[in-house]
Amino acid sequence: MNDIVELAVIGAGPAGIEAAVTAAQAGVEVILIDSSARPGGQYFKQLPEAFQCEDRTEHHLKAQKLFQKLASSGVKVWPNTLVWGIFEGAQPGVWCLTLHGKDAPARLNARMVILATGAYDRSIPFPGWDLPGVVTAGAALTMVKHQRLLPGRRVLLSGSGPLQLAAAAQLAQAGAEVVGVLESSANLLWRGIPYLPALWGQWSRMREGLGYIKTLVSAGIPYRTGWAVTAAHGEERVREAVMARLGRDGKPISDSEKTVAVDAIVVGYGLTPSSELIRLLECEMEFSAGRGGFIPRRNENLETSRPGIFAVGDGAGIGGAEMAMIEGRIAGYAAALKLGHGAEIQTRRAIIQERAALRREGRFADLLGDLFSPPAGLYTLAKDDTILCRCEQVTLGQIREAISYGTQTVTDLKNLTRSGMGNCQGRTCGSIIAQIMAAETGRTVQEVRYYNIRPPVHPIPLWAIEEHEPEQ
Amino acid sequence: MRITKSTPELPAVERGKSIEVIVDGRKVQAFEGELVSTVLQAEGITVFGRKHQTGRPSSVYCGMGVCYECLVTINGAPNLRACQTYVADQMTIETAGQVKP
Repeated sequence: MNDIVELAVIGAGPAGIEAAVTAAQAGVEVILIDSSARPGGQYFKQLPEAFQCEDRTEHHLKAQKLFQKLASSGVKVWPNTLVWGIFEGAQPGVWCLTLHGKDAPARLNARMVILATGAYDRSIPFPGWDLPGVVTAGAALTMVKHQRLLPGRRVLLSGSGPLQLAAAAQLAQAGAEVVGVLESSANLLWRGIPYLPALWGQWSRMREGLGYIKTLVSAGIPYRTGWAVTAAHGEERVREAVMARLGRDGKPISDSEKTVAVDAIVVGYGLTPSSELIRLLECEMEFSAGRGGFIPRRNENLETSRPGIFAVGDGAGIGGAEMAMIEGRIAGYAAALKLGHGAEIQTRRAIIQERAALRREGRFADLLGDLFSPPAGLYTLAKDDTILCRCEQVTLGQIREAISYGTQTVTDLKNLTRSGMGNCQGRTCGSIIAQIMAAETGRTVQEVRYYNIRPPVHPIPLWAIEEHEPEQ
Repeated sequence: MRITKSTPELPAVERGKSIEVIVDGRKVQAFEGELVSTVLQAEGITVFGRKHQTGRPSSVYCGMGVCYECLVTINGAPNLRACQTYVADQMTIETAGQVKP
């Protein structure tokens, strides 16, 4: 395929849809690529097509409005398509996306690319965290909302931030026995005072949060701040959870330990940006703990250090759906201008307006990022025989041994131990091993950095490459 | 544990057509629109795979296609994500089995 599309948007969540629609409305030819069957991302995840439901919730109506906008925008949507690499194209100023999907071509050439790849749950390992029945908050929400399935009958939640409150409320309403919600951050109210101005105008969010709390209170579900799950026991699945109160440093206080019988533990310590394609492009990165870790450095149009590559939404720094949609619109406008579309003055004015909204959302994201950053001491829960890299079954003991050889970065650890070389390509263990290496060596995460990434950024069958790349 | 309750926040759904899949040689009822992981979980199957390095059990973890912990064999094709694959009538699904090797 030698055609060159003007703009490819990767990821059809809130950020990607807004970016694609905004650019298309300015006259840009846009292809929106997503690995799922239906657009929406995780936040606006749709029910499967075969399910029928009369949904009148505010959230659903908002999603429907967005999908209608997408349907009438002229954006071409390519579902069920995985982007496994981005490379410099054969001509200057063209990017080549390599794709895998039943109906997708092997490659797509694009003048500009907006990456809206979203985020996934950040994990913190503890003994037993790899037992069946321990799932992330994102998994629990997907099961309940997308599949109408409970992850277990007796569920304990442990983590940080509002996502687990949402998960707990949904699980309780759906009929699970929620034995407790543990929030690793302590003194939330007191620590929240400096952020009060950022809450001004966030009424619908506060109403949503209070709604979750009301559900928990009326169901008699205990909400403990400054607590966390410290171990899971079981053979073929989790049977018991151990929880403990955390000290100021985030380390568990051993005489506070309690054990509860459960058949599921839901863990969610915030989100990690899905930055694989950004790293593959070797975009300049910066570290922001409050925004989920390493994120691309962007200019005020949300363009990365690679010309024509924009990054928006949670994949470029955790900020939530509202912020993601604003970022999507800014990048959509900016890409249109760069491609020579749209009325220049109006477009610039629109960008300026969106930037003001972005600053407001940014203050709220800072509040969440600071209040709900898991304390460093939580990374001491793993023992020497605890698996850190699940794919390659690498233990903390093996990582410690590799650190003792004088390794300098997490990529050195990867080369020595195979951690991060498995199917998930280091998505689950990358930030964990960086935190642990930094703590054990008295350095910062900025210094031990992030795993190098190689294409394909998702495993694909060998035939998928073979078929399209015949020997020259 | 399929949810049958209906609440304002989580209105009840009518699942797709009732179909049949074959899990480890056994016929199992499923519904169109369900994921392979959903059907296995609803059947009480918790061990989807076993790590070839250590034999430790693995199952759904991230639920969104990121962690690759839920790999199973589907219609003979190995290493497919149960949480990203929708069931179809007469699909064969093979897990690592529920007994330790």
